[in-house]
Amino acid sequence: MSLIGHGGKEIVERVMDPQEAVDKIRSLTQIPIRNQIAREVIMLSYGFFTPLEGFMTKADVDGVVESMRLASGVVWSIPIVFDMSSEEIAAKGIKEGDTLLLMSQNQPLATLDVEEIFEYDLKNMAAKIYGTDDEKHPGCARTYRYAGRFIGGKVTLVNPPRMNEPYDAFFLTPRQMRAKIAEKGWERCVAHQTRNVPHSGHEWLMKHSWIACHADQPVEKTTTGVVVSAVMGEKRKGDYIDEAIVLTHDALRKYGYFREDVHLTSIIMWDMRYAGPKEAIFHAIVRTNLGITHHMFGRDHAGVGSYYDPYDAHRIFDTISKDDLRITPIRVLEWWFCPVCGEVTYMGLCGHTKERQNFSGTVVRSIIQDGVKPPRIIFRPEVFDIILETAGKYGFGSAYVNDQYLAQRQPLFTVPPLEL
Amino acid sequence: MTHHEETFPINVWINEERFAKLQAVKLGDLTQEVFAGLKVLRVPCTAEQRDKVLAVFPTAKFDSATTKSVEQLPRDVKDKIFDLVVEKASVDIMEEFLAGY
Repeated sequence: MSLIGHGGKEIVERVMDPQEAVDKIRSLTQIPIRNQIAREVIMLSYGFFTPLEGFMTKADVDGVVESMRLASGVVWSIPIVFDMSSEEIAAKGIKEGDTLLLMSQNQPLATLDVEEIFEYDLKNMAAKIYGTDDEKHPGCARTYRYAGRFIGGKVTLVNPPRMNEPYDAFFLTPRQMRAKIAEKGWERCVAHQTRNVPHSGHEWLMKHSWIACHADQPVEKTTTGVVVSAVMGEKRKGDYIDEAIVLTHDALRKYGYFREDVHLTSIIMWDMRYAGPKEAIFHAIVRTNLGITHHMFGRDHAGVGSYYDPYDAHRIFDTISKDDLRITPIRVLEWWFCPVCGEVTYMGLCGHTKERQNFSGTVVRSIIQDGVKPPRIIFRPEVFDIILETAGKYGFGSAYVNDQYLAQRQPLFTVPPLEL
Repeated sequence: MTHHEETFPINVWINEERFAKLQAVKLGDLTQEVFAGLKVLRVPCTAEQRDKVLAVFPTAKFDSATTKSVEQLPRDVKDKIFDLVVEKASVDIMEEFLAGY
């Protein structure tokens, strides 16, 4: 099993045994961190963001902002930064060379070695990463919310979190994912990035990309898989609840719409930046580190509003050498329902453009909210049942995020108690 | 309400079971097939009724961009609207429906 990740660097886990860590962390300055940072600390520590070993220093941020490369020359598209106000830095007496103890859920989570403390021009960062400095763009808005200083340095997990049900069945670290892929005998596999529950249009995107990925491989033996890689991060009102996303995708395998030996549902933790093409590169990097060989990109991947052309996220791969990314993009147009063909079919094949019926998000949402089971050709009945079931079990009666879900949902993970 | 004036409809999705109920009160023809055989019944609202719906049910939104309809009404509210349509054998029921709120 290869452990070589993005940039040709080996996947290394930066994780200490909690009991061994206690003596080393007891006297460190404690810094409470918000949930987004906690998620990124966990991703960094397990190697999802290889070759990064921690939060970026200024040279790396400069490289990413100005030329989409780390200081080492490795392709990287989104700044991974740890922000803190100058007031807090001063109040806690933080200086370069220190090690901080990052606290999440009131428990020690990880250490951060303070290699560099720096300022950055946030407007320039936003404009170069997102192609706009409009504060209405959610990625720009996130950038403008950063506190005034950044701390760059390596992180080490000192108290590994426990994933909560139902996520525990779907969270695989890069090393675990690579072992799983080897166990399944997959020589190729394609990532399907998602934040949705799957209708048949999504199902066909996955089938399309599996067929494209399989290509010239022998057919007698299964050597190709689909890895659903659901993104779990900050939720907004109206999003699908996380539990519905993972359990409905898994249902496609469970109920035979994908064979057991070709399909795997998994999750990563990441707060979407909606950076369109730049985020597509980032997603490709993370899935490379998971050991995935191909990545499907559909229409308007990671886009928002009208900031990007629907196929910008395809075209950006034309600007990057194959040697710079160890994953092959699979570019897909739309799948729609055609009443003339009488089937879900592909924009690149179907000639009934005028008659087509698109999988509109608004329409699908409206159908789900009414609880009226749609025809199985557009929505698998088992998937629909699980949406309603998860709404009751996890979503306070709704498959969509509402105020109650935001306030009372079960977190993705729990940081176990660790006495110092 | 005449059907010539602008309306701000509530879309009620119609599966086979609901379609049978509409046919029984001779309203089957008012449904439109919109997505892979799934039908929708558009229950008209005046601008005033739309505004009252949005005020009474805070989750509801008027989608002016794509569907031009009142969306995100709770399921039980949509169920009651459908039941009233069947009971009255008419889609012009919003005045009566809203009188209870």
